[in-house]
Amino acid sequence: MSTTLDLHSHSEASEDSRAPLEAYLNWLKLRSTERPVDGIVLTEHRQFNQNADYRALEDKFGMLVLKASEVETDYGHVLVFGVTEEMTRRFDFANVRLPAQEVIDEIARMGGAAIPCHPGRPNVGLCEHYTKKPPLENVIAVEVLNGGSRKGEDERSEALVQQYGYRAIGGSDSHLVSLIGLCATRFDAEIRTTEDLVRELRGGAYEPVDFRPRRKPVPQAIAVEVK
Amino acid sequence: MAENKSDLTFESVKIGDPLGPSEFHLSKDQVRAYARTTGMWVPRFTDDEAARKEGLPGMITPGNMSLAILSKLVTDWIGASGAQLTRMGTTYRQPVLPDHAITLQGFVTDKNESNHTAEMDIWLENEDGERLVIGTATVHFPR
Repeated sequence: MSTTLDLHSHSEASEDSRAPLEAYLNWLKLRSTERPVDGIVLTEHRQFNQNADYRALEDKFGMLVLKASEVETDYGHVLVFGVTEEMTRRFDFANVRLPAQEVIDEIARMGGAAIPCHPGRPNVGLCEHYTKKPPLENVIAVEVLNGGSRKGEDERSEALVQQYGYRAIGGSDSHLVSLIGLCATRFDAEIRTTEDLVRELRGGAYEPVDFRPRRKPVPQAIAVEVK
Repeated sequence: MAENKSDLTFESVKIGDPLGPSEFHLSKDQVRAYARTTGMWVPRFTDDEAARKEGLPGMITPGNMSLAILSKLVTDWIGASGAQLTRMGTTYRQPVLPDHAITLQGFVTDKNESNHTAEMDIWLENEDGERLVIGTATVHFPR
């Protein structure tokens, strides 16, 4: 049984999002035909809430809700899956200049998975940093499909994957309710827990999936100048 | 979905209802007119060459103007229903460049029975589908 998860989303716990988790799940239920995901992973910016418990909402909507974090490093933003108390003691998740190589190596050693996100994005993505610094070691995957990507960003991420042989994931990076589930990752295996997710990210079979609607061409606009 | 603006009521609004899409061409002269009217006559909003000297790709649209344009998406949806736009919050992700086609779009994402309000996502995107300004709004309906 396969599992499709949106691996990158921000609820109102992130300072730049106003999306309540319940509204996300309700939206996915409404749009289940266009965005057939089995669950989401909340990746709040620079934080991790060890105590948050979403089981009631999981039961209400029949969807999986897992927790992770998006941290900021000297090589751009990185999604950390399988966060433990040991990790939050080892790294100050609020630090916007975490050492990326240490994050990747130490998170793996402590049983998690650290995956650079939106690598094709200027300033906060891996591609730009690779033009100035040596490539990171032990990268298992990068986020190739990001629902918030601008023109060319996903293509740069894909080129990075081709060049370095990384594996690829997808996530919506949603900060608005209606944008949840636009990109996701399809795993061959069934995933029910964070441990399942980390195990599959590290050694399982998966691929990014794109549920963004194909855009209709915008008619050529006629400029009407104000005199 | 409410078919007619005058028919729009709290009860008729459904989660998932669209706002827009509304497409139009934003001209440089419209941006200059806004800058002049609002006392924001500064080079980045009025002159391509001067804006480029500031490191911008050309003259840009003032953030307040983008906010105003997005508010019109909501007030057009409200129409003559008597509902009121009570809150808007926006995030500016990229400069809005005039002399391009702009699309405004949104969706009702939640309803609050006790407050008689509807929550909606709203955004402004360019021809490439890049969401330049994103936000949320709250609309209160009369009882």
